This record gives sequence, C-alpha cells and structure tokens, in this order.
Amino acid sequence: MKKHLLAAATLALTTVTAASALAADEPKQGGTLVMAIQTTPRHLNPAVQSGTATGQPGTQLFASLLRYDEGWEPQPYLAESWEISEDELTVTINLVEGATFHDGKPITSEDVAFSIDTVKANHPFKSMFAPVTAVETPDATTAIIKLSEPHPALMLAMSSQLLSIIPKHVYGDGQDPKAHPQNSENVVGSGPFKLTEFKRDQHIILERYDDYFMEGLPYLDKIVMRIVKDGAARTIALESGELMLSGFEQEPRDINRMKKKDTLDVSNAGYAAIGPVNWLAFNTQQGKTADPAVRKAIAYAVDRDFLLKAIMLGATEAALTGIHPGSPFYDGTVEPYDIDLDKANQLLDDAGYAKGDDGMRFPLTVDFGWASAKPVAEYLKPQLKKVGIDITVRSSADFPTWAKRVSNHEFDITFDNVFNWGDPVIGVHRTYSSQNIKKGVIWSNTQQYSNARVDELMAMAGATNDIEKRKKYYAEFQQILADELPLYPLYPSPYHTISNTQVGNPPNSVWGTSHPLDRVYLK
Amino acid sequence: MSEPFNNTTANDVAEAQIKVSHPLAEMASMFFRNYAAVAGLILLIVIILFVFVGPYFHPVDPFEMVWAPFSRPMEEGFVLGTDYLGRDMLAAMMVGGQVSMAIGLAAALISLFIGVTVGAFAGYYGGVVEEILMRFTEFFQVLPTLLFSMVIVALFGASLLTVTLAIGVVSWTAVARVTRSEFLRIRELEYVAAARSGSASDWYLIFKVILPNALPPIIVQANLMVGSAILFEAALSFLGLSDPNVMSWGQVIGSNRPYILDSGFTVAIPGFAIFLTVLAISLIGDGLNDALNPKLRQR
Repeated sequence: MKKHLLAAATLALTTVTAASALAADEPKQGGTLVMAIQTTPRHLNPAVQSGTATGQPGTQLFASLLRYDEGWEPQPYLAESWEISEDELTVTINLVEGATFHDGKPITSEDVAFSIDTVKANHPFKSMFAPVTAVETPDATTAIIKLSEPHPALMLAMSSQLLSIIPKHVYGDGQDPKAHPQNSENVVGSGPFKLTEFKRDQHIILERYDDYFMEGLPYLDKIVMRIVKDGAARTIALESGELMLSGFEQEPRDINRMKKKDTLDVSNAGYAAIGPVNWLAFNTQQGKTADPAVRKAIAYAVDRDFLLKAIMLGATEAALTGIHPGSPFYDGTVEPYDIDLDKANQLLDDAGYAKGDDGMRFPLTVDFGWASAKPVAEYLKPQLKKVGIDITVRSSADFPTWAKRVSNHEFDITFDNVFNWGDPVIGVHRTYSSQNIKKGVIWSNTQQYSNARVDELMAMAGATNDIEKRKKYYAEFQQILADELPLYPLYPSPYHTISNTQVGNPPNSVWGTSHPLDRVYLK
Repeated sequence: MSEPFNNTTANDVAEAQIKVSHPLAEMASMFFRNYAAVAGLILLIVIILFVFVGPYFHPVDPFEMVWAPFSRPMEEGFVLGTDYLGRDMLAAMMVGGQVSMAIGLAAALISLFIGVTVGAFAGYYGGVVEEILMRFTEFFQVLPTLLFSMVIVALFGASLLTVTLAIGVVSWTAVARVTRSEFLRIRELEYVAAARSGSASDWYLIFKVILPNALPPIIVQANLMVGSAILFEAALSFLGLSDPNVMSWGQVIGSNRPYILDSGFTVAIPGFAIFLTVLAISLIGDGLNDALNPKLRQR
C-alpha cells in the first residue's frame, strides 16, 4: 500500500519561505498590510471564478485543502493528512479538527463535497475535477474522493485558489453560485482573513479571523488590498512605502527600477504554478504556416535572446517549450531554435518558396492582443524580412477583437500568453489536444494542432501519479512539439513580487501572491 | 521739353502704384511684413526639404534593425541614435515625417470638404436646411474629438486610411461654422443680388460667386487644421491607435513611449519635430490671417 501521510506536527515547522529561516527576526503579531492588486475582481469567490484578481483576495477569504511550498511540495492546510489508495482511484482526506467558517459554523466533509461539486460544475477549468465520480463523507472530518482514473492534477487542484472550501449552508441555498449575492459581500469564508469591505475600483479590506484553524496565525490584523490599475502608480506607491506588497508585477522597466531601491525586495520566486508562458502561435491549418518548414524557418529567424535583452530587459529567461521552465515537467533539452538566418532561408528555399524580385517570398500577418505585446510584433516585421517574409502587423482595437480573430482561427501568427495553472493537465493540455479545437473559445487549441501521439501522451501522463512516468511522457510530448512547432515558445512572463523590506515572509510559493498570507508579518 | 517728360514720369509712377496694389501682391507684402510668419515659412520649407529630400542622402529603411537598441544620438555613428529595436531614428524621422505631413494634409482636405459643403449650404439656403445642418454640426461639435476618433479607429481597425478619415471626420465643424457665417454675410451683398437678378442658378451662386469671396478665412482655418491633424495623429499613435506598418512621427513616439524614462530621446526627437512643424504652420496661419482678413488688417 502506497501512502502519502503528513502529520500536522511538521506543519508548524514548515515556514513558507526559506528566506525567513535565515532572517533573525521573529514573526510579530499585529499590523495592517497595505498591498496592491491590479484589477477589480468580478467577485471574491474563486470556487466559481478563475483569474488571479479573484485569487489574491479569494485565497485569504477561503482555505483550500492543501497548500504548496516553493518546492512544489503539498503541505497540510484544511486537510491534516491525506492518503492515496494503491490503485490511485481513491483519495482519503482527513480534515483538521475544529476548523470553522467565518460565521462560526464548523467546516465539515459535507462542505468539502459541496465545494468540489460546485467547482466541478461551475469553474472554467473543467479538467481539474473531471475524473471525480463521487465524494463520500463517512464522518464529519473524513472525505473520500472517488476517481474514474488516476488523476495527477488532483493535488494541485486542491490548493490555492483552485479549490476554495465554501460553506454549504450559505452557497448551497439553491441560487446560482456564479451569481450568488454573497460572492461579493457578507462573504462567509474559511480562510485566515474575513471580509470587511469590498469597494469596486477602490479597495478590499480584510480583517484577521480570530478563530482561524491554524494556531497563532494569521500574524497580520488587517490587509488592505488597494486596486491600482496603473503600473507606474504602483511603482511610485511601492517606492514611497505607501504600498508594502504587490504581486504579479511584470513590467521589466518598473522591476529594474525597483530593484535599485533599498527599501524594496524584488523577487521572481514563485509563480511557477501560475506558469505564464509567452509564445508565437501559428495557424497550423490555413495559409503558409500550415507548412512545418515555414514554422521552423520563422523560429530560426526570430532571435529569442534579442527579445529577452532588448524588450524584456533581462527580467525573464527563455522558455523552450510550452511548459513553464519552473515546472518539474519542463524539458530544456529540446531544439532551442537559436537564431540561424542561413538555416531559415535554406528551409524556405527547400520548401519551394522562392524569393521574388523584391526579395520577398510571401506575406504573413502578425496579431497581438495587448499593448505590451506590440514591441514583439513590431520586431517581427524587419526581422522576418531578412528571410523574405513580408510581415503586416495587425493591431486589434481591444482584447475582445483580438480574441475573436484568434479563436475563430483568422490569423497566421499571433503573440499569445497562456497560463499553465499548476499541473499540465489543467493548463497545458488545452493548447495541444485535438479534442480542444473549439472555434470561438480563446486559449483553446487555437493553433488547430492535432497529432495522435501527442493526444495519447497527454492521456497517459494525465492518468498516472507516477512522477517519473509522467516526466517521461511529457519529455516525449515536448520533443514532438518542438519538432512540429505549432507554436514557438519565447519566455515566461516575468512575474515578480515586490515587497517592502519591512514585510516578513513575503509570499513566494508556486502560486505567488495567490496564496494565503497568514504567515506574512510586519517587522 | 522737360515738362512733358516729367508729366509722363508722374503718370508712370501713378500707374506703377496701381500695379503694386494688385490683391495678390498686396497679400504677399502683408504676409512678409509679419516676420514671425516668414520665420514659420522658412522653418516649414526646411522641414519639408529634410523630410522629402533627406531620404535621398540617407537611404535607410526605417524599419530595419541596424544597430543595438537605444544607441544615443551622435555616439555610435547614428545622428539621432537608434530606437528600442535598434532602428535608425534619423531614417524614421525622415520617412515618418512624410507620412505625418501627408496625414495632416489629407485629413485637413477631408475636413475642408465636409466643412465647406455643410457650411455653404447652411449659409446659403438658411431656414430649415440651415437648422438641420447646423444641429448636425453641433452634434459633432459636442463630441469629444479625440475620443470620437479613437472610437472610429477602434471600430474599423488601425490603418493609415482609417486614421486619416477619423481625423478628418472629427475636425470639420469649425470650417463649417466659418463658412456658414461668411455665406450669411456675403449672400446679402449687392454683387450677389446682382448675380441673382441675372437669374444665376443656386449652384453658380454658391460655388462661383459666394465661395471664392468667402475663401480667405477658410484658408486660414484649413492651414491651422493641417497642424492640428498632425497633432491628432500623434495623439492617436501615443495611445497605440496607429498603423504599426507605417512609420510616422506619432508612431515613433507611440512605440518608444514605454521606454521614456530610460531613453527619453527616442520620444523627445519626434515630439520636437511635431512641435516645430505645428509651430511653423501656426505662424504661417497667423501671417495668412494678416494677409487675407481685411478687417484685421486695418487694426
């Protein structure tokens, strides 16, 4: 019998950050943390809403079963311990004793079953709990999850904002959970902080929940999440000390500027589970990009290192595949397509695309959907001219316009940014699965790529908990994709957490700031 | 013997004086009396030479990445440095200037066409026609122009054509009002009444009789519009609503804007070029106003 057991005792010793272990200061109780989030969340209930705007306040309001440390290790949270059966089809969760919701009612296995059902039915990430056939509740602190097949994504899907434990007696009242009035006000949560005030476009104020189930936590009395959309405004407020913490910062110039500031800690630790990867996606079915030789030639003609230096200003690193480099499944041994203009020209010549009198072989359009992607699109125009591809940069008026074009497959090449969301099953498979070619759905397989072996590898890697086997499957998967190149990976978004040096234990889990801040304290 | 000659000379002088006061010559002299306007004209000529003749002496593709990004002006062999992709700023300024000026001119012509048509008919016919046309004009006048042009570009996509049309479509109202007020004044004058009594058609009266006499203030207005259209294009580009496949001064500003704190020159140079051009056009407009507006002239 294979058992994964973790005692609650180890929890007390496990600190969120390695840095805090080195720091001499002891965590201190009390204080108000003023931090920034970048957009107003639609509402605060992550059980029925994806996105980190909801996730950052949502993970304070609602506890999940597990939490992940910076080393991708699951740690006990609401689940005191858990056990996976030999056949990997049954997962038994033992809940911590005495945990209560913010209204004082106990958190029971009933609520866990209800939460899983709600997420399964309403959350956009369908693959998270798709194999769950039933959740049994033999007693108040035991939940048994039954699976139709082994489901390796389950552990990550039970952490952070992906499985918020919500009270059945509040959200199970028959109303549509997506439009429940208590998603935005009078939120009854299970996490370390409870909601005081949510003012759209202004702030979210959270207060310490005194009966939180983790002993002695949270350290902070209050968290004020100010909603600051403008990156420059956040930078200035962080520099002046008005803001103490901000996650998901990705503007290289702002990051480099704040790195020079003594009062700020700038860290790119974490975010591997968010896993945001930027790439150039190709239309693999229509036009010239349907020819793999053309896609490869473009990959050889694009200088990824130049983009990293000139546009990302060294704030991030290369991603050679569509899996985030911070993921344990990332395979960095694939063909990197380092710049080689001769090879690119050779590939195009061999494929029969002769240069015309003007030195051009054929035209292609490049799309981009948001302002920060424009420099990359503009870069492609002169760069691909060097191999005789005449690029027209097509700007879209707004994000929906771009999303409509790309999701309806009306593009040749587009810059895109897709999140891995922890396990590849949740955020990676959707990009390559031939089952997921869905017209009109953005971030489905908009490349319209289809390969039977790739489908098979994803199915196998998604149906076993054996990490070594999975690594092997995903390695082959990445090798095939690097060879057929439905998309040319560029780099992960340079997500950084900026914190004032006064902030102890800044969050740097694999989920970034979309993670309970119960161990954060003010020095 | 000498007297008759002297008389002839006096007559000649009188005749010569009449020749000097030919309307165009008089206009020119009024214009050149305004030194600021002359300076503006010289400045504009220099800019036009730079933009249209410059590329023959500096034939570099402004899209080509020729050097490392953000090489500062004069430091590494690039007179105006390189932009964020390492493209030659000097070439971008030359080729971009052509586009900026072309957009300015084309947009001004579009708004001139719409404005003069609307204003002429409103002023000539009066009554219901005037009511409808002027309410229509006011409708466009109260719309925030930049916002309106952004909507147009957003709806129809950012191409050179839509940007030009958007600018033209939002900035014709002033022309329409000026044209209308001139028409209201001129249609009551005696020479119009005379032409009308000669059973001239409405069409003839509008375009052959009244419009030529209403032109001076319209020309001044149109001139200023070229300047504001260039500014408009820059504003749209700054907001990212420009055709990324065409180099213009606004496009240079728009694409280098994120790097303004690190390498301000890439934004400052095209900004300065726009400033100089618009200034030159405004000064010329001032001089034209002096030359063409008889009422102001007497002050």
